[in-house]
Amino acid sequence: MAHPPLLQRTVANPTADTTELQRRLLAGETLLADTADHRLEVVGVLESYGEVLDAYSINLIFQAEHQFLNPFPVFRFLDGDLNPAKIWRHLYHDRINFEYAEYCQKAMFWHGTGGLDAYLDSDAFLANCRTIINRKRRRDPLLALLHPLFPGFLVELIRSAATTHALGQFWRVMSDLFLDLARAERNGTVRSIEAIVEFIKAGLVAAAANPITYAVEIHGERQWVLPPQAQLTFLVDVAVPYVEAVFLRGMPFLGTVSFNAQVQQISPDQASFTYGALYADPLPTMGAGIPPSLLMQDMYRHLPEALHQWYRERNRGEGDVRVKICQSFQKAMFCVTNAAIRGTFPHALSSPHPAEQGANAAYAAAWATRLAKGRTDCLGPEA
Amino acid sequence: MLSLLLLVPLLGALAVGLWPGNADAVRIRRAAIALLVVQLLASLRVLLAFDPSLAGMQLQEGLAWLGSLGLEYRLAIDGLSLPLVLVNAALCLVAAIASRDVQARPRLYFGLLLVISGAVNGAFLADNLLLFFLFYELELIPLWLLIAVWGGANRAYAATKFLIFTAVSAVLILGAFLGLAFTTGSADFSLTPIAAGQLSMGSQVLLLGALLVGFGIKIPLFPFHTWLPDAHTEASTPVSVLLAGVLLKLGTYGLLRFGLGLFPEAWAELAPGLAIWAAVSVLYGSLAAIAQRDMKRMVAYSSVGHMGYVLLAAAAATPLSLLGAVFQMVSHGLISALLFLLVGAVYRATGTRDLEVLRGLLNPERGLPLTGSLMIVGVMASAGLPGMAGFISEFLVFRGSLTTFPLATLLSMVGSGLTAVYFLLLVNRAFFGRLAITAADPDSGVLDIRLPMVRIPDQLPCIALAGAVVLIGLWPAGLGRISEVATRGMALLPSLIATAPGGGAL
Repeated sequence: MAHPPLLQRTVANPTADTTELQRRLLAGETLLADTADHRLEVVGVLESYGEVLDAYSINLIFQAEHQFLNPFPVFRFLDGDLNPAKIWRHLYHDRINFEYAEYCQKAMFWHGTGGLDAYLDSDAFLANCRTIINRKRRRDPLLALLHPLFPGFLVELIRSAATTHALGQFWRVMSDLFLDLARAERNGTVRSIEAIVEFIKAGLVAAAANPITYAVEIHGERQWVLPPQAQLTFLVDVAVPYVEAVFLRGMPFLGTVSFNAQVQQISPDQASFTYGALYADPLPTMGAGIPPSLLMQDMYRHLPEALHQWYRERNRGEGDVRVKICQSFQKAMFCVTNAAIRGTFPHALSSPHPAEQGANAAYAAAWATRLAKGRTDCLGPEA
Repeated sequence: MLSLLLLVPLLGALAVGLWPGNADAVRIRRAAIALLVVQLLASLRVLLAFDPSLAGMQLQEGLAWLGSLGLEYRLAIDGLSLPLVLVNAALCLVAAIASRDVQARPRLYFGLLLVISGAVNGAFLADNLLLFFLFYELELIPLWLLIAVWGGANRAYAATKFLIFTAVSAVLILGAFLGLAFTTGSADFSLTPIAAGQLSMGSQVLLLGALLVGFGIKIPLFPFHTWLPDAHTEASTPVSVLLAGVLLKLGTYGLLRFGLGLFPEAWAELAPGLAIWAAVSVLYGSLAAIAQRDMKRMVAYSSVGHMGYVLLAAAAATPLSLLGAVFQMVSHGLISALLFLLVGAVYRATGTRDLEVLRGLLNPERGLPLTGSLMIVGVMASAGLPGMAGFISEFLVFRGSLTTFPLATLLSMVGSGLTAVYFLLLVNRAFFGRLAITAADPDSGVLDIRLPMVRIPDQLPCIALAGAVVLIGLWPAGLGRISEVATRGMALLPSLIATAPGGGAL
């Protein structure tokens, strides 16, 4: 008997091409189409993301401050609480997947995309490191042995800890911002995708100049790792490198589009990597516990009821809920990227000067070229 | 007791067709399932009453019918037919359960299904050549209708081709039976082996040749196989289950019962040629399967290859190889039914069976993970992995035939290796990798794939078949005990007949 093909395919979004993305950015339009479903998805998923980022942020700051220069940080995910019930829940996996936060930290650290990373290579930073290591070695025989054997090792650990702390500070701001957004939506002050993008942009701009500092306490004395004198700030030194490293580049983990380095599918040029959140494949491909599915699982634990109900009513309900969370998450991340681009145009979009307009157009074109390769099929109204 | 196996489905078919009132498809299907459950229970009762230590036919029952024609209603069962009767009962039930999509003319559909079930039982139980032929014919028309009415787009062509091929097969078989009566001068049409004293070897070879071609079409063996892939491609899933799981076995059963059983001496003469024919059929079926894009055609060609093993075992005709032939008939019935059900589930969900289009169906969240897992079990069993029914049957066939026909056996073993090749191609293309239902480049195509979920209750027949395949693989002694005495008796026929001039006393 003839079976009707039950397969439903989503038509590829025609706005995916570069010129359309550039036009939208320059016209001040949102990348994501404004529909009621999109608003529910973006606000809901950002609310659960805010809850998760809160936990990530607390843990990263704990790691950087309390597991500092610990070569075997076995209990680093427990936030210093070592009671057996918590250890059991951790082993039983009834917990937030802090591994994803680490993955993001490592992506930032490995790509070293400007800002903070430039400071980590400076002489001032190396001088701080020397002071810290010399103090720490006095009462720690393992470090006393390691440092002369591998002089670069402890310095690299401190660089990693600095990135960890900075990411923790960044996510502190973002977590509060996303939870504020959910409250604003409930209050009725945010009613459109445009308003969501503007809300995030305002939050980023407000926090742009926040100082990023990091000190550790060694034998009762406070030592600066990222001192105020370094003048590191939220937007330029952490947020922008973070977007570059995590949203765009990422790392070629299993579960993203390319999973086979042996057939030369992974570019030798790190800057052209496209394994970040905006490019990730929402469908896990034959693997378990890999980013971004860890993040999807974490957000699944904190879904607002309205969005959870919306997921239950669609496709396979709970059966493919993580795929749907990832798709919503990518929509939300396009909104965040949209806000970040708006906030960092070199000149006002309303500028009448041709030179400034040209600079803006070039800036928008550079972004559009990179975004067009991403999962833009989620942006259309029918997605 | 045996008549019950005919009465339940045939009277049931009549009742389903003639029951007054306007019953909907769901109720008719339930009634058919209930009847087939009764048939399965009746078959199990026969199993309990069966004495596996007896070599000959048992549980005989009969009525004089048309004595002057030599047509008698005589039923009996032995270790060769009992497993096939059980497979028939199980797979007809599975087919009825899998027929949940039938909306058009449900009375006719389920009536025909029951007629096929009863006719196949009749053919396996018939203790008279003409009675066998009647039931063999009786099953053709319902199957033709099932393909022609409820089939795919090209169903008319496939159904007609099926009818022409199998009608020729039936004519050849009838010709052989009548020829036997004509040349021996006795028209009792009983299943009595023919000895050289009764009939010249030339006549025996001629009559056996007609049977070989007749049953060779039904099995099917190369080059008479071309109707099978077409019929499978156009048939709906339950009909494919019946066709591969039960109806092809009529061919191999006929070959063993009538080819080997009636003409043991001529069979021994032709055996070397038959073994080579089997090897050619195995290799051709396997190589053709490798070249297929359509999953269903691939499984259909695998049948051509796997039924070749039965001919190889029958040609060798050692006690071990004949036991292997019974195992192969049972395990191929179960495995091919499982594979066709799974291909049907994939087609239902995706609307295609094209291996160039399907990818990554094992995906746990959006794909068909249970279907895919069962498919892996099915193809492993078909490729003869230890612990599954396919391994036991292939091992018995090869072990039993190797000393008699080493070359043909080795060539057939290559075919067994090729099974792994084409089924790994199938699993690799359709089930591994990134989920996609598009021929386009997955990196640029649309990626949001929404397949309906296959519910676990819909998969129960597949799970049961997979369980049976593993059970036979792990506990072959159960089936072996039923058939061992009967197959040993058949293997001894040529030597017995040679020492008993005049035959007939067996």
